[in-house]
This record gives sequence, C-alpha cells and structure tokens, in this order.
Amino acid sequence: MSTAPQSNSQSVNPYSSQDAAERAELSQIDASIRSSALFFTVSAIFWLLAGTVFALIAAYKAHEPSFMGDSALTTFGRMRSAHLNAMALGWGNNIIFAVGLWIMARLCRSPIRHGGMLTIAGIFWNLGLTLGIAGIIKGDITSVEWLEIPHYATPLLAISYALIGVWGIVAFKFRKGEHVYVSQWYILAALFWFPWLYVIAQIMIIWFPARGVVQSVTNWWFAHNVLGLWLTPMALATAYYLIPKVLGRPIYSYYLSVLGFWALAIFYNWAGVHHLIGGPIPVWLISAGIVASVMMVIPVIVVGLNHHMSVVGLHKEVWRSPTLRFTVFGAISYTLVSLIGSAMAVRTVNEVTHFTHFTVGHAHHGVYAFFSMIMFGGVYYMMPRLLKREWPSATLIKLHFWGSAIGITVMVVALQIGGWIQGVEMNNSEIPFLEIVQNTMPWLKARTVSGVFLTVAHIAFAVNFFWMLFAAGAIRAKQGPTLLDSTSEEGAA
Amino acid sequence: MSEDTKSSGPHPNNKESLEQAAMQDNSMQDVHAQLMREKEEPHEGFSPVPIVLMFLFAALCFWGGVYLVHYSAKFRWDAYSPYFDPNADKPAPVEIPLFVRGQKVFAQQCAVCHQASGAGVPGVYPPMVGSSWVTEHPEVLARILINGLNGPIEVKGNTYNGNMPAFGPGGLNLSDKDLAGVMTYIRQEWGNEASDMTVAMVTDYQAAYASRSTPWTAPELKEGLGPVPEPEPVVEEAAEGEAAEAEEPHAEEAAH
Repeated sequence: MSTAPQSNSQSVNPYSSQDAAERAELSQIDASIRSSALFFTVSAIFWLLAGTVFALIAAYKAHEPSFMGDSALTTFGRMRSAHLNAMALGWGNNIIFAVGLWIMARLCRSPIRHGGMLTIAGIFWNLGLTLGIAGIIKGDITSVEWLEIPHYATPLLAISYALIGVWGIVAFKFRKGEHVYVSQWYILAALFWFPWLYVIAQIMIIWFPARGVVQSVTNWWFAHNVLGLWLTPMALATAYYLIPKVLGRPIYSYYLSVLGFWALAIFYNWAGVHHLIGGPIPVWLISAGIVASVMMVIPVIVVGLNHHMSVVGLHKEVWRSPTLRFTVFGAISYTLVSLIGSAMAVRTVNEVTHFTHFTVGHAHHGVYAFFSMIMFGGVYYMMPRLLKREWPSATLIKLHFWGSAIGITVMVVALQIGGWIQGVEMNNSEIPFLEIVQNTMPWLKARTVSGVFLTVAHIAFAVNFFWMLFAAGAIRAKQGPTLLDSTSEEGAA
Repeated sequence: MSEDTKSSGPHPNNKESLEQAAMQDNSMQDVHAQLMREKEEPHEGFSPVPIVLMFLFAALCFWGGVYLVHYSAKFRWDAYSPYFDPNADKPAPVEIPLFVRGQKVFAQQCAVCHQASGAGVPGVYPPMVGSSWVTEHPEVLARILINGLNGPIEVKGNTYNGNMPAFGPGGLNLSDKDLAGVMTYIRQEWGNEASDMTVAMVTDYQAAYASRSTPWTAPELKEGLGPVPEPEPVVEEAAEGEAAEAEEPHAEEAAH
C-alpha cells in the first residue's frame, strides 16, 4: 500500500505522509480563495472580450475612418482608450487579482481569511472600472494617456484596489516557513508599487494637477511603470511559479532570481522618461531614463537565463502542457520585447521609432505576448485546481494558443516593420506627410487581420472556460489532465 | 499507505489534521485528483551566476556612467539638448594684462627685498625706481632675472654688493609669462617709463640664457648685448585680437 494510489497512478510524485500534509494545506488554501478567484477570472474574461471588441473597432477605423464614424461614441479616440483601459485595468488587473493572489496564498501556505470581503472589494473594482470606461465612451475622457478614466471613477478604483491588494500582503504576513520564494518577492513588491504609482499619478495629474512638464514626466513615469512594476512582476511571479511546478524541477538558480528581482526594482522605475526624448524637459532626466532602460538588459537576461535553464531538456513536456505552452511563449517574449525596448530607448533608434506604429507594436508585444500569455497559462493551471474539473476541450486550447500566437506575431511584425518605415520616411523632409500616412495602410490592415486571429483565440478561451464552469460533471478528473498531445498520457497539466 | 497513517493520525480538534487524514482516503484522492497529481511546491537550485554575465553587466554599468557624463548637460535644469555645452555661451576667459600679472609676481617674489615701493633698502638692496639697469636695455634686465646677479653693482651712485637669485629654469623657474609680467611692471611702475617686456622677448632670452649656470656680474651684463627689439611683438599680439589686453597696461600706467 505504500505505492501510489491507483486511480492517480499517472501522477508522478510518490505519495507520502509529509506530502499529504502539504496537499491538505493546499486544498484548504484553494478552497479559501475559490469564490473570489473565480469572480476575478470571470470578470477578467468579460473585460478581455469587451476589450477585444473595442480593439477591433479601433483597428478597423485606423484604415477605414468612416466605419461607425457617424457616432461620437465610437470615434477612434474613445474606442482606443476604452480598449486600453479595458485590457490593462479590466483584463490585466482582474487576472492578476485571481492568479497573483492565488499563487501568493499558496506559497505563503496561508489561506485567505474572509474571502467574501475580497469578492466584495472586487465587485467595487469592476463597478468603478465599468463607470470609468462608460465615462470614456460618453466623452468624459481625460487627455492623459493611460489615465483616461474620468476623475469621478478613479477614487473608487484606488480604494477598491487598496482593499484587494491588502489580501496579498495579509497572506504574506501570516506566511509559514522560513524561505520566501521568488514569486512572493515579485507579488509583494508589485502590490506596493501599483497603488503608489496610481495614487501619485492621480494626485499630480488629475486631482491636483502639477504645473507644466512635471505632468508629462509623471504621466510617463506612471504609464511605463504600470507595465514594468505591475504587469511585469506579476507575470514573472506566475512564470516562476508555474515552470517548476509543472515540470517538477527546481528553478535553476536562486542567485539569478535575486539579481533579476533587484535589478528590476532598481532600474525600471527610471525608464519611463525615455518616452519624452526630444521633449522640453531637462536633458539629464531623459539621459538617466535612457541609461536605466538599457540597464534593464541585466534583469531581462538574468530572468531569461533562469527560466531557460529551468526548462532546458524538457521541451516535450512544455509543448504538451497547456499551461507551459502559454507560459514559455510568454517568457520567451519577455526577453525579446525587453531587449527591443532597451534598444528603442537609445536616442539614435528613438529618432526613428518615436511617434510611429513601432511603439504601438512594442506595447502589444509586452502586454499581450508576454504578460497575457503567461496569465493564460496561469488560468489553465489554476482552474482545474479550483473547480476540481478538467478543461473540456484540448482542441479549443490549441485554437486559443495558435490564434493568440499567430495573431500577436502578425501584429508585432506588421506594426514594427510598418512603424520603422514610417519613422524613416518621417525623418525625410522630402516625402509629403500624407504619402507617409498612406504607406502605413497595408500594415494597419495586417493589424486588423491579426485582431481577427486574436478574437478567435479569445472566443475559444471563453467558450472552453464557461463550458468548464457551467457544464458540471462534464469532464471529471478521472480522465486525467487535458493535454495538448494525445499520444502520451504521462505528464503534467 | 499503512505506515503513513501511523505517523500522522488525526487529532480530533484540529481541522488541518482532519483534512490531512481525509487526503489519505482513496475516494477523497479521486475528488482531489488535480491536487494529487500536482508536483511539489516550487523551490530554487543554487547554480552560480555565469562569470561572463558579470563581465557583461560591469561593461553595461561602465557604458551607463560614460553615457550619463556625456549627455547629462552637467545636470542643469535649464539644459534641454543632449549636446549642450555649458561653455558655449560664455566669453573666452579674460587674459590678465602683463602689467597686472607682474604686480602680483612682484609682490610675491621681489617686494621682500626691493620693497613694495621699489625703493630697495639703502646699502643692501638696490632700488628699482629710476634705475638704469631696469629701464634701459631689456636684455640686461632679462639676464639678471633669468640667471641672477653676483657681486658689486653701482645703482644711482651707490654700490651694492649682494646676491640676486635666479628666476629662470636654473633657479626659481618662473614661467615666461610671469617673468615678462614682472619685468614690464618694474619698467613701468613708480614713474619708470620704459617699453613693455613681451612674452616673446622673454622666450627669446630664455633660449639664449636658460642654459647658463652661473650668475652674471655687473661688468658682464653690459657685454654682447643684442639690439633692443622693436615693439613689433606687441603689434603682433594686438593683431591677434588681444588689443584690449595690450592697452590695459597703458591704462593702468596712466592711472599711476
């Protein structure tokens, strides 16, 4: 009887009493966060779908301006900003609240106490966001990129964030065990970084506006840090959790983890001002931002190496597991997008890419190919544990993966090639501006095509998710995990 | 699983251990299938950081420092161009007129003996005021300053017997500019009205006398003098756009 239990014989770990204690603990933790994590995931998926619709409209209008052009509600400016906020604060934050808090609770071995209140705070977050995005579409949009949500919705967002973020900090406070794992560093730090960024930016730009260029410095400090000190650490924490968890192999090096975390913490905060290269702010500030942006090569290489060495040799497992297929795609994208980003901060490159579609491509490269793909991986891993069900359809997962992977690749390649050409042409004073605009048309059409791929992927994801959520008993655990390669039953989910 | 249950039997009042006991039940394990097949919670290995990376990062930090020094415009709040040159709008540094320079050199080096008034000390240090040694042939004065003077010398009817130290490369090694300044000063101060001693002249005299190792004696000073240089060097300097500078001493002179 000391062998593995029969019905779970495909599981890899031999079952032991110490293991049983740990698993019992995990089971309790999962139960404690189940309802709130489900709420956040469902909200995130709704925002993802809404954001996709806004994105499609905006992308199509970029080369067909008369499309839905008769209504003020659907003008490009409002659709684009509704898309940005739905994706960043709706999809991004909700999925972070789901996956990030779940990972934090598990690693701290600390159940979420009073999870109902977490759900209520989450309801307020989504109410505030709905109000904000409705305000954007109605026309109350502010003129500040990344902070377009009108002033009457932001206090609600700030307060409800604080009520949500505190749960992660409380979980950390009541952690068990001496060692604090790298994912916990990132999540804990980000839970402090985001409210600081958001509140300072709101105060200095919206509530009590600072004077002159200080506003734009604050604006880009905030906008870039939302990516680097909120989405990035949360996605890295998730990757650091999922890779060793699914492969059953330790992360390659603790020292690389330390170096990567602190280099991010030190350098990223400076980097945002490279958006203002050429602007009327003291040049040393911009130069400091450029140096910090290039210095980001250090954490990027370190994290990339750490992930790569943890995965190396197990590529078949990665390809077979839905979780890891998405996560590793995201981790590879992190290295790529960050190195391109460091290059874009250098003045000679920035002279070309600034004010072009290249930057738009870069933003999607980061938020989608890196952050969102890892978060998809997180959902694929988390849901079976929360629902005690398996994903109903491997085909839908594959459709999701290929739609996302092809869609985002087409989008980034099209926007960055088209943007580069656009930048080179704009620096040539002999080419008329309208001609340059017309030359971007094929690339913008390619972006709309990529949007169709992404839409298909998101619909596949949503269908699979709600099928799993509502079709109770459809697929039970006995059939084993849903893997993407049916030739082998062995392996991880 | 028999051994396992022994080691962790349920304690009736502890929810965790109840849960733990339940986890060892087969039907429970089926419900928790996802949990059961999970691998252990993640942990980290301790592989060292590759040394190549450390060199790469050191190089990056070095580049960052160099870049900041080059493009920070000295951290001024009012500089907006990366190519900002803090000295661009400042006028070229003002050259101190030879006379003024000489005044300072005299106060530091000469006034102890020859006095600030240039009157010297009777019987010990000869005066500068109205001394023909000072005001006549510039080469004589240059010889004294470059190599020094030894033995008796008659100045304005009185004989002095002392040692004048050398200020050329063999002695206190003043710069050509300082020497030209101090000589111009003593030739034009206290009512003396001799010509300028230009830097070019001093350079020529240095070339001729710097290698001489012994001080001059009074009779030697009068021997083998070259012609008094015409005031061409002054004109030359003025032509180089330092007219203001060239005029400065005369203004000073007029003031006295």
